[in-house]
Amino acid sequence: MSHLLPLMDALPAGELAACAPSARTQSINACPKSALLVEGDDGLSTFFRSFLSEEGYVVRIASNAEEGLRLYRDCAPYTVVLINYCLPRTEGVGVDWSGESQSHGVELAMAVRKINPSQGVILAAFDFRSAAEVPRPPALMHIPIIVETNVSHLRMVLEKIEVDRAIKALTRSDQLRLQHFAKYRIRGLGRAARDRDWEDLLEEALYRTLIGATDARQGRHWNKKVDLVKHLEQAMRSIASSWKRQFKEEGTFLISELSRSDGDGQEYSPVDSVRSDDASADEHLIEEEDLALVFASLKDDQQATEVLQAWLHGLRKEEILSKYGFDRKQYAAIMRRIRVKLSKPKNHSGTRNHNHARE
Amino acid sequence: MPENKNRNEALERIMNHLADSVLALSDEAMVAEVIDSGGDPVVEAEKTGNVLQQASQILEQVTERLSGLGHRVNANYWCRVRSAYHNNCLKCGMAVSFRTKTGEILGRAAALPCAATGEYRVAKMVND
Repeated sequence: MSHLLPLMDALPAGELAACAPSARTQSINACPKSALLVEGDDGLSTFFRSFLSEEGYVVRIASNAEEGLRLYRDCAPYTVVLINYCLPRTEGVGVDWSGESQSHGVELAMAVRKINPSQGVILAAFDFRSAAEVPRPPALMHIPIIVETNVSHLRMVLEKIEVDRAIKALTRSDQLRLQHFAKYRIRGLGRAARDRDWEDLLEEALYRTLIGATDARQGRHWNKKVDLVKHLEQAMRSIASSWKRQFKEEGTFLISELSRSDGDGQEYSPVDSVRSDDASADEHLIEEEDLALVFASLKDDQQATEVLQAWLHGLRKEEILSKYGFDRKQYAAIMRRIRVKLSKPKNHSGTRNHNHARE
Repeated sequence: MPENKNRNEALERIMNHLADSVLALSDEAMVAEVIDSGGDPVVEAEKTGNVLQQASQILEQVTERLSGLGHRVNANYWCRVRSAYHNNCLKCGMAVSFRTKTGEILGRAAALPCAATGEYRVAKMVND
């Protein structure tokens, strides 16, 4: 038992008691769902401990194969064994995780392995080829199993688990808010949106979130202290700006942007004589029409037109309230009229239809 | 109406104000506004949920398929061209693409094993 002491000192009191041989059987009966996690990465350990605890498991964690083997031998049986294949191999440690040491066997094994042939595969018993092959009780069928993957993929899968949970938890109004936010953002891009629509913007935000889990420098890391709606909104903001910037950097100019005035004040374009079937001219016209449509649809609403003009002059809400004498309730009502008016199909040209694919 | 040269910015500025304004709406106000606009809040909300779920699923499916065939891609290199995302295996260069809306996964990397990988699978040992 002496070799177990350092490890057991590190265990919480409840788990320490559960590891004592005399208390083992009683513990098993009292808590039939127990998990052993052999994982060297603190982040993953924390995640899986939280994940499995939520599922009602008592979780024990070992940071290397040796510790894992001790806990496996001395605190078995476990219903779940989660193993990281790339843990350092210890010479002479012949690991048999097959369940022979347990009276009931391991019901579930989740294996994570780095794809690196130079590292010894120490837990071949769990080298399943797909998640479908991993035996597990029906109650655990919904738990994602990660088999034969690399750590960055694992992180993305774990992020996906959390993202999926958050997506399921979205309220109807959250979903509507995200959609309308995306629609306005994409419409504001005008021709810089190209063939993208609101769905593309929302998808991109989600992709960036999933990718952001693998590397904070890539994608867009989701800080779990922020709810998913807020996170996706910030991501869409950033992506829309990036699309706009990319469009500008590509140096696409409209004929109107190249216009010059001659001595008589007549405008001319240096490319007037060049025939082109470039769709950008059409797009620009549609963009102009879209802006004209905004103003035209609200021409009978003086207050709404004043607010639009104020926005164009860069006025903030408080300045608008002060300048036009609106109170907050009036301002909110005006905003609502603008949104409702512009959301009606006849006042929305539809980005997907009017932006030609030019990529 | 603003002058020609500012129209891009004008449209963007107006739409960004409107985008920000929906975030401040209460749940009830958001739903009511969709109804007033002639939309069906249930249908619209479901559509948003579907977009998010499909996007979440297909990226994992692609990553799993590529990993299973021994390919490795840089997730940051997914490049969107004409409604599809494209990438290449960092080891063998084979191409892969996917479309979220249709769920299609295309390209040689999605069908063929990585030609540059030396890894092998260890045979499964199951105690049945």
